[in-house]
Amino acid sequence: MSRPQAPACIEDPPPGTLPRLARAQLHEVHAAAEDWASALAFAFGMVDAEKARPVLLLRPRRKGAGFVPCGEGLRALGVDPARLVIVDARNDAALLRAGLDAARSSGPAAVLMESWGPMREYDLVASRRLILAAEGSRIPVVILRGDAEPRSSAAHTRWTVSSAPSAPLEMRAPGATTLLVELVRRRGGPAGQRWRLEWNEDHGGFRELPLDTQPATEERGPPLPGTVVPLSAVRTRAPLRRTA
Amino acid sequence: MRQGLSSGMTLADARARSPDLATAPHDPIADARVLEQLAGAMIAFTPLVALDAPDGLLLDVTGCAHLFGGEEALVRRVVKEVGPTTRHALAPHSAAARALARFGGKDDVRTLPVAALELDEGALSGLRRAGLETLGDLAARPMAGLAARFGELAVSRLRAILGETGSPVIPVRLTEPIRLETRFPEPLGRTDDALEVVEDMLTQAGRTMEQRQLGGRRWAVTLHRSDNQRRRLVVETGLAVRDPGAVMRLLRERIDTLSDPLDPGFGFDAITLAVLHADHLPSRQILLESGKEENADNVSALVDQLSVRLGEDSVRRLIPRDRHLPEKAQALVPALRLRGAPWPEPEDMPPRPLLLLDPPQPVEVIAGVPDSPPQRFRWKGRLHDVILAEGPERIGAEWWLKRGGHMPGAAGETRDYYRIEDGAGRRYWIFRHGLFSEKPDPRWYLHGLFP
Repeated sequence: MSRPQAPACIEDPPPGTLPRLARAQLHEVHAAAEDWASALAFAFGMVDAEKARPVLLLRPRRKGAGFVPCGEGLRALGVDPARLVIVDARNDAALLRAGLDAARSSGPAAVLMESWGPMREYDLVASRRLILAAEGSRIPVVILRGDAEPRSSAAHTRWTVSSAPSAPLEMRAPGATTLLVELVRRRGGPAGQRWRLEWNEDHGGFRELPLDTQPATEERGPPLPGTVVPLSAVRTRAPLRRTA
Repeated sequence: MRQGLSSGMTLADARARSPDLATAPHDPIADARVLEQLAGAMIAFTPLVALDAPDGLLLDVTGCAHLFGGEEALVRRVVKEVGPTTRHALAPHSAAARALARFGGKDDVRTLPVAALELDEGALSGLRRAGLETLGDLAARPMAGLAARFGELAVSRLRAILGETGSPVIPVRLTEPIRLETRFPEPLGRTDDALEVVEDMLTQAGRTMEQRQLGGRRWAVTLHRSDNQRRRLVVETGLAVRDPGAVMRLLRERIDTLSDPLDPGFGFDAITLAVLHADHLPSRQILLESGKEENADNVSALVDQLSVRLGEDSVRRLIPRDRHLPEKAQALVPALRLRGAPWPEPEDMPPRPLLLLDPPQPVEVIAGVPDSPPQRFRWKGRLHDVILAEGPERIGAEWWLKRGGHMPGAAGETRDYYRIEDGAGRRYWIFRHGLFSEKPDPRWYLHGLFP
């Protein structure tokens, strides 16, 4: 690379802390279709964007039933729905072109691009173009990839996001938004960390939870009729005895 | 009229006289708009057209009649243009013409009834009680006495109708449409050259619009080819603009997305540019430091560009609507038409998902009867066990929009929404369409995904 890697500055967060989706960078967020709301919530909640300017959400047109962002739901994530501009592109090529134009203009606060499947047009060249555009306009660009295998790209970070069981409220109601995120790849930094994040409505941001404390299953599980007694450890772990 | 109906009558009275009367609510704004349009159409007959509120037009046809073959022919053409219900009159001045058209009579204003003075009811009945029926009777009396008894207005109206004082016509000034045309002695063979000419024309149009404090919203460029083919390119902007560069970007975008590419053929003979829709756009202060114009909404140029390329319906914003059903509580509208509508302050209501499924997808559900949350559901062939659930949030059907919806049992199906979490930690918004009291076997639908 012609450009040397920027040295770690004093503002850089210490290793292990959760990095935000920083400005002037390209970020990839991978998620399954069932976790799409979580991926969007992660993107909206973590993106480092100005509060007043519009956010562009670009989506390819899909056949059959589609998702529509819900204004009230956006507001719960601290995003004013009036700021959202939704762009429907004909296909992936048009999506990337529109995304590039959006990233070049310094108008929007952030550009989020939804994409589904392999998306052949998104490669090293396309991602590099997006980065150059984002560096010029100093806005963050996030590409959300649904049901896709990670492909080599020039993106600064790559995340996988999925929903995680929430801490139940009273009366066994589902709790606050809880996500399980993994930083799969990061340019010029360590990767592979995982976090459990919970949306904190009072502070309007994600809060880190300890990774291992899953809510105890016996508290969570409803008394389902005909629950099967688990196999005992002796039966499963004991080596088979030779009979002969 | 023939059945004894008149304006100012009560509806019940009118219906009693004519039972099969068709009625429509009065819309004065629409009436005024139609009148203005008619005034615009009358410009074909004379340059001096005045509005005679609320329902009349005054045309000064001095020196115009001979162009149409005399006054009678002119009147015939005007009446044909406007419609057969028109009442018209010709008179040497506007007050007399107005009185003659509205209060009938022959060409002589002296035979008109005193009602033509359009005084209030008290003064009119006073005139009639004094035995003064026509304007001719009035004109024979000394004016000073009339002014003393019936007010100065009576005298000034009378003198205007008789033509003793002037009654000027204040014409509607129609603004000249902004339209430019360039003709070439030799046809232009290259599209790029033609676009340069268009840019020059846009600069000229921008100057004209700046004088009028206008900015264009809709622009049409017509390229006339030497073989008489025409190509028309129309671009629209969300905000009024005068900047030729912004319009040129949109035009180039439009040319790129043409299904039938622009072909100069044997060259372009002429190019016309028209501003089809303009809005008020005040002159902007130029910032001293950067020399650039201030830019308030910096995403509008991008919205214009994407709207031209992908279609107006592909670039949209969310607006709130005052409805109860979740899928109708918001709408997606083209961002070109509307700049972010403010959302109302959040009410204290149960949480809404981040994504709504459009349309809601049917799911198979195992749930207790009648009002229990689902225990297990199957979506897209996969089984989900419900671990946590909250609800129901009951949302009634919009019975007030339904014909006969106020009758018991005809209101439509009530929805019971549950917020549920499955074993994998995914949160869904699911509803039962109908109560068990409303229908025997209500179906379940998945309507949203919570993050």
